[in-house]
Amino acid sequence: MVNKILYEIIVHEEKCTGCLICQLNCSYVHKQIFSPSEAFIQISNQYSLTPKILFLEGCTHCNQCAQHCLYGALELKEVEQ
Amino acid sequence: MEWHGYTGNILNVNLTDNKISLTKENLEDLKQFIGGIGINCKLFAERFKPNIDPLSAENLIIIGTGPLVGTATPGASRTVAISRFPATGAIANSCGSMSFGFQLKHAGFDHVIISGKSDKPVYLLIWDDHVEICDARQLWGNDIVETHDALIKKYESCGTIAIGQAGENLVFSSLTLIDRTSTFGRGGLAAIMGSKNLKAIVAKGSKGISIAQPKEFNKLYKNLFERIRTYPHRESWHELGMLRSLPVGMMLKASGQNKKARQCTDRFYLKKLKKRRIACPSCPMGDKDILELKEGDFAGLINYTSSVINPFLMFMFEGLKSYTEAIKTFDLINRYGLDSLTMVSLLEFCNKLYKEGIFTKENTKIEWSADYNTFIQLIEMITHRKGFGDILADGWNKLAETYDDIGEEMLVVKGLDVIFEPRFLHLGTMEFEQVVNPKGAHVASGGSPTYVGAGSSKDKFIAHFKRMGIPESAIKRLFSPPFPEMIVNVGRLTRYSEDWYTVLTSLGLCARAQMNRFWGLESASEFYNAVTGFERSSEDLRMAAERTWNLMKIMNMKEGFSRKDDKFPKGWFKPLKFGVNELEFIDFFGETKITHDIANQLLDDYYDERGWDKENGLPTQDKVKELGLEKYL
Repeated sequence: MVNKILYEIIVHEEKCTGCLICQLNCSYVHKQIFSPSEAFIQISNQYSLTPKILFLEGCTHCNQCAQHCLYGALELKEVEQ
Repeated sequence: MEWHGYTGNILNVNLTDNKISLTKENLEDLKQFIGGIGINCKLFAERFKPNIDPLSAENLIIIGTGPLVGTATPGASRTVAISRFPATGAIANSCGSMSFGFQLKHAGFDHVIISGKSDKPVYLLIWDDHVEICDARQLWGNDIVETHDALIKKYESCGTIAIGQAGENLVFSSLTLIDRTSTFGRGGLAAIMGSKNLKAIVAKGSKGISIAQPKEFNKLYKNLFERIRTYPHRESWHELGMLRSLPVGMMLKASGQNKKARQCTDRFYLKKLKKRRIACPSCPMGDKDILELKEGDFAGLINYTSSVINPFLMFMFEGLKSYTEAIKTFDLINRYGLDSLTMVSLLEFCNKLYKEGIFTKENTKIEWSADYNTFIQLIEMITHRKGFGDILADGWNKLAETYDDIGEEMLVVKGLDVIFEPRFLHLGTMEFEQVVNPKGAHVASGGSPTYVGAGSSKDKFIAHFKRMGIPESAIKRLFSPPFPEMIVNVGRLTRYSEDWYTVLTSLGLCARAQMNRFWGLESASEFYNAVTGFERSSEDLRMAAERTWNLMKIMNMKEGFSRKDDKFPKGWFKPLKFGVNELEFIDFFGETKITHDIANQLLDDYYDERGWDKENGLPTQDKVKELGLEKYL
């Protein structure tokens, strides 16, 4: 039996650049369309001093958002099993 | 039909009679041109009347985005505007980034054609299917940051194009900012908007962009994303942004301003200025800056900019004594919606003429002193068209007409001041491009050997040429400069740099070095086909780009431009005093001094490579026919 590795996402809002790559990938993977408004992760105040990152109900924890965040705002951390 | 990548929609807004209508993209047009800059040119050419006043209701503004914008395609976020610009009288495209194009696509539009003139201040709201011309009397008189913030407060997540007081007052060197950060419309786009009483455009969309061939797209995206993720310099780009590519501190040191050089180092920027890195939608190599002054008289000032190198370049002016003065001055220029590069050029030019006694207190009504306060005073006078500032507000051409014998001294092409000084940077394509670009002195479309670097091997150049899709048959000519030690023929290469830039900007892709490096003509074509479902070859894309550039040239031919306007500034042929050094006008490899004869030969070569007439510098009948542009003549 192979143990599935579980991750949690550590959010560092101060590192978010507002690139929306997380939202684009989320909506594309789950809804087959590039549409930030349909993503389960929402970025608000995108270009302000204090961007906000929020996960919505329906998020499947697929981690696609974090896997595509190259700025370190969404950090994948292995969860102890 | 079902559209992918493209939305298929063109929005028409007439500000004179408040009419809003929709037209559909024509599939036949998309065989000849690609979105963004391409369809912008085609739409403009169909409606084009030469010799109209750029600041009249007759002038159009067409704003467009590319077919890849709105998807996750890395670096696809460009917004392009075409109009007749007041600073030059040329028909030109201007490009910017941040989120406007992205939001426009998600609202369901590829292009917006704005015509007429409102009788009162308005802003245009494009919110999915809701398009409205809104009252902007409350916003008129506000600077760009205030305007953007008010619109964000009202509409939350949205893209904005806004003008400041300089645009309202029809200053020729005004530009707009997208999302109060990205410069957009050098040469007076803000004045054109101001002349239409159009304070801002807001785009907000939620419709989404679908992909025609998901399987193919997924494969391409995964490969490209992985290349970017594993790029060894990625984190360094994130940390430093554009400062990584243009070390202004070294330039200041070379100019003998050591104390100032220490205030422009990487370490100083990270410790004293950088507040936050921001990125355009879909960009994994973000380089936009939010800066904060942490000390000094202006402590607490927050500045949004496409790069910290903009205020740092302003710091080159000797009259600014500290980095805090440079940031404060730059922030004011940004807020008013002026072109910071032009402001520095004007300031340096005025300073020179005051020193020479050509400008005096009597003939300018300014007590001149090369310092911060005078610079601020000048910016205020230009923005609000007061006194001497009213002359400067009408641009370089008006200044040359007003004062005898100063035109020859200006480092200007077609009414725009040069950005890259070849006596310091040598004559690469970016520098040469400033002479031949129909827009006037501008550098965006010329970036090419700069990415390879003087001293690189021939093989490295060839690999770079092939990436851009330069045909094998041209490569021998590109290595045939007027003198063998020049190695690369910058004139001939500029033609292909322009075409490559046009491909990127048509698709909506960023042309900056750190993103451009991941793209080639072949991969761009593959993405285009996967996103849209079209079947276009690399050659089709290259031809579409060439067709676009020629169409832009044809329109400018009708405006009276020809080889006589593609003039190397006379000042380039004189030595430039830079610190203790005197710099000469030399070729890219630093071996050959550029004489008038060599400069003319390079121009001949550029026209020849374009298939244009060397005598008048214009497309020949054969070229026009080859590209199927006869109907635009």
